[in-house]
Amino acid sequence: MGKRAILLGNEAIARGIVEAGCEVAVAYPGTPSSEILPAVAKYADELETKTAVEWCTNEKVAFEVAAAASFSGKRSCAIMKQVGLNVAADALMSVAHFELEGGFLLAVADDPGPHSSQTEQDSRYFAMYAKIPCLDPSTAEEAKSMVFDAYTLSETYHIPVMLRPTGRVDHCRQDVELGEVLSLDRPANFKKDIRRWVCLPANVRVNHPKLNQKNDAIREDFEKDFGAYNYEVPATKEPKLGIIAGGISFAVIMDLLKTLGREDVAVLKIGTPVPLPVKMVENFVARHEKVLVLEETYPVIEMQLPDRTKIMGRWNGMVPRAGELLPEVVEEILFSALGEERPQKSASELKQALEELAVTPKPPMLCPGCPHRASFFAIRKAYPKGIYPSDIGCYTLGVNQKAVDSVICMGASVTQPSGFYLAHKVDDKDQPIIATIGDSTFFHMGLPGLVNAVYNRHAFVLAILDNSITAMTGGQPNPAVGTKLRKGDTGRKVDIRKACEGCGISLVKEVASYDVSAGVAAVKEAWEHAKANQEPAVVIFKHPCMLLKCEQEKIPVKVDQEKCIGCKFCIDFFNCPGLRFDEEKKKAYIDERFCVSCGVCIQVCPHGAIVKAGEEA
Amino acid sequence: MQYVVVGLGGQGILFSSKVLGHIALSRGAHVMGSEVHGMAQRGGSVVSHFKIGEYASPLVRTGDADLLLAFDQNEGFRNLQFLRSGGHALINLHQPEAVENEHLQKFAREREISLHTIPGYNLLRQHMGGRFLFLNVLLLGAMGGAGVTDITSEELRKAIEALSPERFRKANLDVLELGRAFFAS
Repeated sequence: MGKRAILLGNEAIARGIVEAGCEVAVAYPGTPSSEILPAVAKYADELETKTAVEWCTNEKVAFEVAAAASFSGKRSCAIMKQVGLNVAADALMSVAHFELEGGFLLAVADDPGPHSSQTEQDSRYFAMYAKIPCLDPSTAEEAKSMVFDAYTLSETYHIPVMLRPTGRVDHCRQDVELGEVLSLDRPANFKKDIRRWVCLPANVRVNHPKLNQKNDAIREDFEKDFGAYNYEVPATKEPKLGIIAGGISFAVIMDLLKTLGREDVAVLKIGTPVPLPVKMVENFVARHEKVLVLEETYPVIEMQLPDRTKIMGRWNGMVPRAGELLPEVVEEILFSALGEERPQKSASELKQALEELAVTPKPPMLCPGCPHRASFFAIRKAYPKGIYPSDIGCYTLGVNQKAVDSVICMGASVTQPSGFYLAHKVDDKDQPIIATIGDSTFFHMGLPGLVNAVYNRHAFVLAILDNSITAMTGGQPNPAVGTKLRKGDTGRKVDIRKACEGCGISLVKEVASYDVSAGVAAVKEAWEHAKANQEPAVVIFKHPCMLLKCEQEKIPVKVDQEKCIGCKFCIDFFNCPGLRFDEEKKKAYIDERFCVSCGVCIQVCPHGAIVKAGEEA
Repeated sequence: MQYVVVGLGGQGILFSSKVLGHIALSRGAHVMGSEVHGMAQRGGSVVSHFKIGEYASPLVRTGDADLLLAFDQNEGFRNLQFLRSGGHALINLHQPEAVENEHLQKFAREREISLHTIPGYNLLRQHMGGRFLFLNVLLLGAMGGAGVTDITSEELRKAIEALSPERFRKANLDVLELGRAFFAS
């Protein structure tokens, strides 16, 4: 047996990618997928492979880069989160029809819950939609082994293969066996063939029926050759219930049955939900009186069953149609499927204690010292009646500073202002609109919206909150940073200011995020310019991420208890974890557990009550 | 053993599951854990699961945990239902009166849950110049000292030594001892 190491699910997937001989690995970060690519770089460095490892500007870019590497005969992979696949969908639908050369792995991490996403969509549906096979791992170890099979399957049928872990698999930590790198001698060799590589309608008419045949053949393979992922765990007694389960739900139900000591429940594990090995499932269904389907998050297995009369799942309300299938939820479903009472202990004493102690779950908020907090404060101060569209990233948390009004998806902070502008323009109204976007998101999908606004002459201010990192997902570099992942690999920095100017923006102001008064002045000047010239203007707020690049002088602060009048302005509009309110004394105070001494709040108090510690009278 | 580690994003919870994992692996045991990354790490409530032994899933069911390690008292109270009857909670307490709450005590008594508390912030103020980033190691030390798991203080010391970055190694070992001594003395 090889060496074992404790890996994060995402590291296990990365290890599989490197061991399987992948030579081009690309991604755009997004929770819960973000740790895969850095781990690919780490293992590629350790195992001294030549693998190209790169962050791309967005998921569509990543998908297409990986696709062309596959056209050239290399094993490649594109890694993203579920909403990233929405961005890459155009390319996916097209490439699915191609007769690929090198193995192409599409790793897409779903986020049931959701914990860190704007949707809890199920990427397995996308696999069905694109007619490509999907593997759905239950553990980190299985995810790693599926990477190898995905490449084999991809090269057998010349088709992209999706590996779809959910966040619980990505972020599970498990001991996993490490292997050696598969040595493939595959020099890049792109063979020109327009029928294969150009998606002309005439070619699609040939390739679509071929794609259908591939699906039929893969389904047959899944029926018989994938016993490692599709297997039955029979009941030791006469089964009262059969359960079909995939992904993390399989792991959860197995632990639960063991804890409960149930010997009268049989389980069919399905690790290849698309295309579903229907005969195998129908055979299992036929042998059980009642069958429950557990999968996250949409009814993908369930929907592929021609006859659902015996099936309990989402179609009949047995399984909730939203949210994560946590062990407690699965337990409740299990007892209700069995038609038994679930044994429960009362937690009413705890509930009462939590009420008395006023304990509530703590929602995420911008970190203490976060430069975005200062920027949001300046934006709101400049135009308290502004409309504030924003974007996906840490700064979505600007809702707490009351400086974020609407968020749709990556890049939509640059396009929503156009809609707001036009809606008011047709009424002949000047409405200040200040949109916020981060550095990485700007390059991800902000540019097309900006060009659109310049071309169509839409007046608004785009505030680019440049913290020189992709922060929310854990600190990945991006074009504005210029660094790359593999040792010795250098990138080139793309200047945000020049990019804006190149798009035709005539006013670009740069300010230090922590300087609130300069921020207010810049936002006002930008809006006046935008209004006067009927065009978008840009303010770039600059300060490195406090959490990931803590590099500034410490300015310890305190609240002068004499001067504080208890107005809560700082709490309501600055909303820093380091600033709290004493409800008894009716005064604000600094919570030293969280304060990082950024000193920004000195500029916030309208009564001058927040002062440098040691400087008060 | 099934552990649940709770606290607020940014308190260093992920490091503690790394330590537990390191110990389990050096024992040759199988490990399954679940972590929280992404948005919840930004100061929000964080729950981390960790199981040592033959398990299929990384998630701990409510009522199954042997030990609840709470970096924040409120997060600790909120997650007490994870504990099994006879389980232990080790809580970093910053408001000593809170744990005296009558209903809280009654809940713990009914389920035979032992509540162990440590004034983590005070200890770090006194001994580490208020560097609260050592809270995670302090709690791990306390876990060893309180004898609430079968993991020994020696195993913890070895794991911290192996996993600490060079510049934090000495301080981490001191803090680990500080936590151990709080309960052991």
